[in-house]
Amino acid sequence: MTSNYDMSQYLSIFLDEVDEQIQIMDENILSLEKNRKDKSVLNSIFRAAHTIKGSSASMGYEKMAEVTHNLENVLDLLRQDKLTVSTEIIDLLLECLDIIKALKNDIINERDTDTDISVIAKMLKTVIEVQEDLPQTDVLQERSYSREKGYLEDKYTVEFNDIEENVIRTAEIKGYKVWQIIVSLVSDCLMKAARAYIVYNNLKDLGEIIKTIPSTEDLEGEKFDLEFQMFIVTKEDRDRIENIVKSISEIDKVVVRSVELNYEIENQEKSLELSINEAAFTKELGPLLKEDKSTPGQSESIKINQTVRVDVQRLENLMNLVGELVIDRIRLADIEASLGAKYGSEELLGGLEEISLHISRITGDLQEEIMKARMFPIEQVFNRFPRMVRDLASKAGKQIDFIIEGRETELDRTIIEEIGDPLIHLLRNAVDHGIEPPDERVMHGKPAKGTIKLRAYQQENQIVITIEDDGKGIDPNTLILKALEKGLISEEKSSRISQKEALNLIFISGFSTAEKVSTVSGRGVGMDIVKNHIERINGMVKIHSVPGKGTKFTIKLPLTLAINRSLLVKYGNEVFAFPLANIVEIVNIVSTEIKYVAKQEVVLVRGEILPLYYLEDLLELKYAKPKRDKFPVVVVGLSERQVGIVVDELIGEQEIVIKSLGDYIGKINGLAGATIMGNGTVALILDVRGIMEQVRMDD
Amino acid sequence: MKENQNSIQGEEQLVILELSREIYGVEISTVREIIRMQPITHVPKTPNFVEGVINLRGKIIPVIDLHKRFDLPVREDTQDSRIMVVEVDDITVGMVVDAVHEVLRIPRASIDPPPPMISGVDSTYLRGVGKLEDRLIILLNLNQVLHEKEKRVIEQMAAAE
Repeated sequence: MTSNYDMSQYLSIFLDEVDEQIQIMDENILSLEKNRKDKSVLNSIFRAAHTIKGSSASMGYEKMAEVTHNLENVLDLLRQDKLTVSTEIIDLLLECLDIIKALKNDIINERDTDTDISVIAKMLKTVIEVQEDLPQTDVLQERSYSREKGYLEDKYTVEFNDIEENVIRTAEIKGYKVWQIIVSLVSDCLMKAARAYIVYNNLKDLGEIIKTIPSTEDLEGEKFDLEFQMFIVTKEDRDRIENIVKSISEIDKVVVRSVELNYEIENQEKSLELSINEAAFTKELGPLLKEDKSTPGQSESIKINQTVRVDVQRLENLMNLVGELVIDRIRLADIEASLGAKYGSEELLGGLEEISLHISRITGDLQEEIMKARMFPIEQVFNRFPRMVRDLASKAGKQIDFIIEGRETELDRTIIEEIGDPLIHLLRNAVDHGIEPPDERVMHGKPAKGTIKLRAYQQENQIVITIEDDGKGIDPNTLILKALEKGLISEEKSSRISQKEALNLIFISGFSTAEKVSTVSGRGVGMDIVKNHIERINGMVKIHSVPGKGTKFTIKLPLTLAINRSLLVKYGNEVFAFPLANIVEIVNIVSTEIKYVAKQEVVLVRGEILPLYYLEDLLELKYAKPKRDKFPVVVVGLSERQVGIVVDELIGEQEIVIKSLGDYIGKINGLAGATIMGNGTVALILDVRGIMEQVRMDD
Repeated sequence: MKENQNSIQGEEQLVILELSREIYGVEISTVREIIRMQPITHVPKTPNFVEGVINLRGKIIPVIDLHKRFDLPVREDTQDSRIMVVEVDDITVGMVVDAVHEVLRIPRASIDPPPPMISGVDSTYLRGVGKLEDRLIILLNLNQVLHEKEKRVIEQMAAAE
């Protein structure tokens, strides 16, 4: 039992790691496609493939190890310029990545044999073999070097110690090259030490010399024959180094070889060491790295994050405990206030006030920190989209520039988990229905390449995500016709529907405007599912579209689901909480303003008709409707539709912790849960979405 | 441990409560705590025997009224009224009772199966009747009391239509 448990522990770490590396490869392959000469990107892909190879082999997943091994070989050829990055190669790399993903899923689902790797393995091997047969000039040159290498081989094979090895690895990651420079002095050289010193000095200007053979002390002491070696970390190429050394007199021969560590023997521990030693390396190569920062696209590729993996449940528990502290904080403030009212300015009360303030500040900070611990950058979701959009676009024969902004925006993990699917649907729609084929775009005077922009940002206590395309837009009239045709709305309704409302027809179940059903966008189950998903996590979705110009979806989400800013209202003897996110506004109504439309009470608010509802009806409360002359109405809205809910009294705004009513009572339509108030009593939280649904059904 | 000994000795330890002047017993291991009456927040759209929810040290606990559960005459809160918090199969529920008296041990041997109907309570909710000296103690079957809820809800919904 114990060993099984341990295995699963490793398995989840392994899967996390593979996920991480797949993500890295995904991103970098796409950026390689854009910037085909970028060696640092290639190196990142190589490292990721290598890491997967190592860990999958050690976990005993041979297929994955084999695929990544072949992939690594192809990448190595690319790194050495023996192979150029072409669209075919990019496709091959992506395909390879898909296979790795499929293999990963096989592991998760505990079936090891499903995915066929023979095809991809063959393709990878073919690429390698074809390359080897090609008499490219590069290769010839390389061969001449290797011939030279041949005779030097045994004599000059160098063993590096761990520190040197790490420096070399890190340098490679940063896009530097490591060269081994073998210098032979002329046999009648008189001042060997001085020559060696000059060589050292000249090389020093090019980069960092990390090792000499013999050691620098021995060089100074002239304790060598005619030959010495230097190892340099630099961005300069072979020729430059060779020329510089050759320009020094009394040099007989110079051989410059690139140093590459043998990756085969590298194990996982080493790669771990690598990131730890990064800091040390940064110090060593201080001046060099400063220059590196000015080179775009390289410095950002490596970021050291010191992290601890924590069980999600543990975070949930912490959050619950903080929730209780928040309640007590409010209670403490209440007690302090009532004591203050009773005893006035007692000296002891001052102390209590101070403590109460301090506690509220600390719980506030604690709450914020734990919330942050549960927050993830939305990047986690966004990162898989570029690849998806690329594939969708190429399948649909469309040209699309996909822009992502605000990757760093943070959201609660529960929301992150939920938001992926709706976004996928919206992006698919944008590619499939939004952006026109290139020729059609040109015909309409637009650039052939369409643009889809995905953007996330924080706006007060909400996260806003927008998906915007510059495609053909949506014509409300077409929607009305379609809805009529499908019997989704009545003829009578279609005549008085506003353009804004018409756009919302798209969210009705069973609605699809695609003329033909494609593999991409499916059959019109998309938009209502999108809406449901978003509303389930207390969000809102809005659509804005201009025919011919494009469509924009705006999604608003709460930062977290556990704690909520709410408006507390009194109704009868009970206190109810309205989540602030669902409240549009509060209006005061005088009973004489109430009008009737088919028995439904309505009021006019700035010219718009607002239907009025009462909580006793919505929640079947046993509460006799009192005669009200003047009363506040909470206007709530979800995706354009708005209704007014009559309340007795507004209490105020407060941060509340959402608690479920428990399994015994279960889910009650119209209620989102309960919360504990400052005075210890329980207030019910209204589920505006549920209420709206009920209202819709009553219509 | 003590309980084990009890069962070895063939004894049951019961918390004795009062409901509409009858004496009931609940197995002590299911009782979490006994608290005084406090304001109960009514939860709409629940079966009539669900009184609502209370705050038990930061946790939301549902409260049911055993009178209504058993179709007994409607209670009135008195000084002696208590909420008995019980936990059965991971479900924690507060039960409103007229009074809680004492903890008693009664020998297993003196427990008889419940008669079909006793003091107006359906025998499905009962585990048996215990006799101690001249007292009759009705043993509640909490599993049934708490879990037969779905049936009740369905019945109610059917009745409402």
